[in-house]
Amino acid sequence: MNVETSYSGSTAVAVVDGRVDSANAKDFDEELSAIIDRGVSSLVVDCGGLNYISSAGLRVLLIAIRKTNEAGGGLALCAVPDHIREVLEVSGFVRLTKVFATADEARASFSG
Amino acid sequence: MDVKLEMEVGLGQDEPRRAVERFERFANAHELPMGLVFKFQLALDELLTNVVSYAFDENEPNPVITVGLRLTDAQLEAVLQDNGRPFNPLLDAPEPDLGLPAEDRRVGGLGIHLTKAFVHGLRYERVDGWNRLNLVQPL
Repeated sequence: MNVETSYSGSTAVAVVDGRVDSANAKDFDEELSAIIDRGVSSLVVDCGGLNYISSAGLRVLLIAIRKTNEAGGGLALCAVPDHIREVLEVSGFVRLTKVFATADEARASFSG
Repeated sequence: MDVKLEMEVGLGQDEPRRAVERFERFANAHELPMGLVFKFQLALDELLTNVVSYAFDENEPNPVITVGLRLTDAQLEAVLQDNGRPFNPLLDAPEPDLGLPAEDRRVGGLGIHLTKAFVHGLRYERVDGWNRLNLVQPL
């Protein structure tokens, strides 16, 4: 798993690739927490390179959704591969966060 | 076709990943469809993660976890066994309430929920001090 983040004011886009499971969920949590702790309230998680996520990774996303909601922004996902999208649907996460085709669309959703 | 793979799984945090990656290589070597491999892999991962995290006391003298895979023309089957405390994840795991907002959502039970959604045949039995979980996916 690797996370690369670009910042623009209180908005950030985190591009996640690889695999998030119980073995590295803690690292993923630390990455997202560090981004939010820098004052980011609107976080886009770009899942274009994400090839695997288990419930341990969903837990990390849930924490980040809560934190960004509390900060008055939110968390949006983009470029979600079909098989990951199915995990989000089955686990009810599509009700907790919006899913966009591109990072630009996701970012624009926060500025409205 | 009738091929088998047996593996032992340790108690380390990375062990479920090691096991499911071995499954993935096995599945890819036999050209199983990617979608099926992903779902079965996720189910194995969730079930093994539960066992590794919760099945054993810290001072358990001889913890054993095994995974047996069997692939035939008709189906893919896995048998997970552990000699930990009795636990039937299919009944004993809490059902997540997927209608709750993020503030009230809990992730407990989500792994089993995904497992049930992604694998057709799931069966649990307790046999001679062993938890035995059987996963069957028709091909």
